[in-house]
Amino acid sequence: MEVNKLKEVKLFLGPQHPGMHGNYSVHMYVDGDIIKKARPMPGMLHRGFEKLMERKLWMSNMAIIPRICVIEPDINEMVYAMGVEALAGVEVPEKATWIRMMILEMARVATHLFALGGIGGPTGLYTSMYWAVAERDLILDLFEKLTGARVYHIFIVPGGVRKDLPEGFKTQLGTYLESLEKKLPEYQELLLKHPIIHTRSKDNILLPAEVVHELGVTGIGMRSATGKAYDLRKVKPYAFYDQVEFEVPTATYSDALTRIHLKFQEIQQSIRILKQIIEKMPDEGPVKAPIGTGNALKLRVPAGMVYTAVESTRGEYGYFIVSNGKEKPYRIAVRGASYPQGLLGIERYLPGHRIDDAPLWMDTMGVCSPEIDR
Amino acid sequence: MMNSMNNLKEQLKAHYKIAAFEEPTKMQLAFNVEPDKTLDVLAYLKSIGYGQLSLLTCIDWIEIEEFQLVYILFNWDNGIHLLVRTSIDRNNPKFRTIEHIYPGVKYYERDVHEFFGVEFEGNEDSYKHLFLELWEADCPLKKDFDPLEFSTNRYGNRKYETNFPRKVGGE
Amino acid sequence: MAIGDKVELSSWEKLGNFFRGRSVWMMWYCTGCGAIEMPPTMTSRFDMERLGMGPMATPRQADILLVTGYLSVKTLRRVIYSYEQMQDPKYIIAFGACAVNGGIYFDSYSTINKLDDYLPVDMYIAGCMPRPEAIMNAFNDLQEKIRNNEVDGWKRYKKNYDQYKKNQLKAVGEVYVHDEFHE
Repeated sequence: MEVNKLKEVKLFLGPQHPGMHGNYSVHMYVDGDIIKKARPMPGMLHRGFEKLMERKLWMSNMAIIPRICVIEPDINEMVYAMGVEALAGVEVPEKATWIRMMILEMARVATHLFALGGIGGPTGLYTSMYWAVAERDLILDLFEKLTGARVYHIFIVPGGVRKDLPEGFKTQLGTYLESLEKKLPEYQELLLKHPIIHTRSKDNILLPAEVVHELGVTGIGMRSATGKAYDLRKVKPYAFYDQVEFEVPTATYSDALTRIHLKFQEIQQSIRILKQIIEKMPDEGPVKAPIGTGNALKLRVPAGMVYTAVESTRGEYGYFIVSNGKEKPYRIAVRGASYPQGLLGIERYLPGHRIDDAPLWMDTMGVCSPEIDR
Repeated sequence: MMNSMNNLKEQLKAHYKIAAFEEPTKMQLAFNVEPDKTLDVLAYLKSIGYGQLSLLTCIDWIEIEEFQLVYILFNWDNGIHLLVRTSIDRNNPKFRTIEHIYPGVKYYERDVHEFFGVEFEGNEDSYKHLFLELWEADCPLKKDFDPLEFSTNRYGNRKYETNFPRKVGGE
Repeated sequence: MAIGDKVELSSWEKLGNFFRGRSVWMMWYCTGCGAIEMPPTMTSRFDMERLGMGPMATPRQADILLVTGYLSVKTLRRVIYSYEQMQDPKYIIAFGACAVNGGIYFDSYSTINKLDDYLPVDMYIAGCMPRPEAIMNAFNDLQEKIRNNEVDGWKRYKKNYDQYKKNQLKAVGEVYVHDEFHE
């Protein structure tokens, strides 16, 4: 795009900006409030996880991996556990798999609620933020009851899960799901039908199918553009996702509003899955398979390399794990789901939008800065 | 599903003489490719449906002085992950970009360049720093880089008094 | 003047502290993981506004810089920028184990280990990550300290500016924010 030196201003959006999602920055040239050129600026949250994981034992890595993605930490534990199990050839007990699915789906609801609340910031509809974040907090309470922590749970470990469900947990979860289901129409009224949201998001921030394939966007971005159920839970079922019934919401025209709609529908589907999990989960049974011999900290994983992936709220989230048979991993690479839309997407397709659309881009496409930076 | 995996194996064998395959887990295929054939293989795989590049990463095999580049491809229609691996010299790490095949690889190549020092010819941005700013030390993900030593020298550690009384709470 | 020394204050200063201690504005900067606990603290579940604290978008009108967790050197550069833009009196709360001594990132090549080498910290919150109650408790304690004239981080920063600057330059190389266009 042509740059007129007299009219254009260089602007740093973020990291210290209330509209920015996380510690992330976009540097741009603007003409009026139209973005002419944009460059993403990641790295403010870089901690060097891939190096730190090489320095720790297989089991002590559990302490740091949830911190890679702050908003949805459980997927990290799941992919890591799946990878280690695939390399070590461990079968996970049935009940443990159901508990894992339950945690993943609860996390999905919580993350989607947080994202729906996050729409409130950049659009100016603060009510949604207050409602959705408080709603998410009730899930965090359930997590606290289950795992002892609000945000970083470290509950899914290689071989199964740490502990069995506490007494009465299924009933509590069921009660919560019913109350959430009753409230969903209110959210629909507040978010999806609200004129503020419509003005800002309808026909705004388009994501055509060609762009999806060019960038490699996965998750809601991909499903909202292609109209196909490209969801790893369906395409390549892990855990017991092939034993529960659910639909993958799709659309063929992807603007910001469509993607908000899809997030909303995914919450509904997750509730449906959670209800089936409560029904199908066996009451008795082991929740952890023995892994390795003797002390878990002395675990050695056979040499080999494997890539495992799960469907996060933003798309395909994977770990590439290499072992050389020693007590520490040789190399672990993290595939953050928001890599394509957060970096190349911003560089190529954000120009042409307005400045205040940048936070909307971050929110509706699902850009999670800690998982890009690692 | 198994059929598509076997078909793929046969086709790769016929076209590119790749014979050794591994299956790390179900629906996953890993194989090595010669460096000069890698771009052809990737272009071919993209043309038969492996349209998504999930990850490009690098492994530092310091003992045999090699960097191993791993391209992880995914086909959304049959759910197969491919791990395409190729080896380059560790002392002169250079490879060609695949931006014209998978445009999304641009930032992964910057990433690998930043952490391992691999140069990707043809990717004009690849030399720029992405995550680290004003970084002067060696590439941090190489095996001979010691982060603890670097951290202690540069950022220091907090000193704690260790002469606590033996009994806590007193007599 | 050491912390805790009793000094005679003029009535105006006392009055100033009284009001400062009852409305603290926290700068809206999510520097690390701990920021995930800020929305629950700010919104209806815990609602910190009822206790006289709120978020503020710009550094120039903020009183508190909340360093939420680990700081990578890249963020430290920007935090120093933001802190120097804030007006006196200003306070820093360091949040989480990582800001105290590096926490689980003690051996990371890109995060700092001791925040108080680079900026004057007035209060630490321990834990990973601190719960919303802990955050509000810390704010309450800070308010109390402000009212009693017991926090003087910004004065220390001015007094030992050369020392702080030296430490900053050692860790971050240069305190200058580069742009991503590489021009």
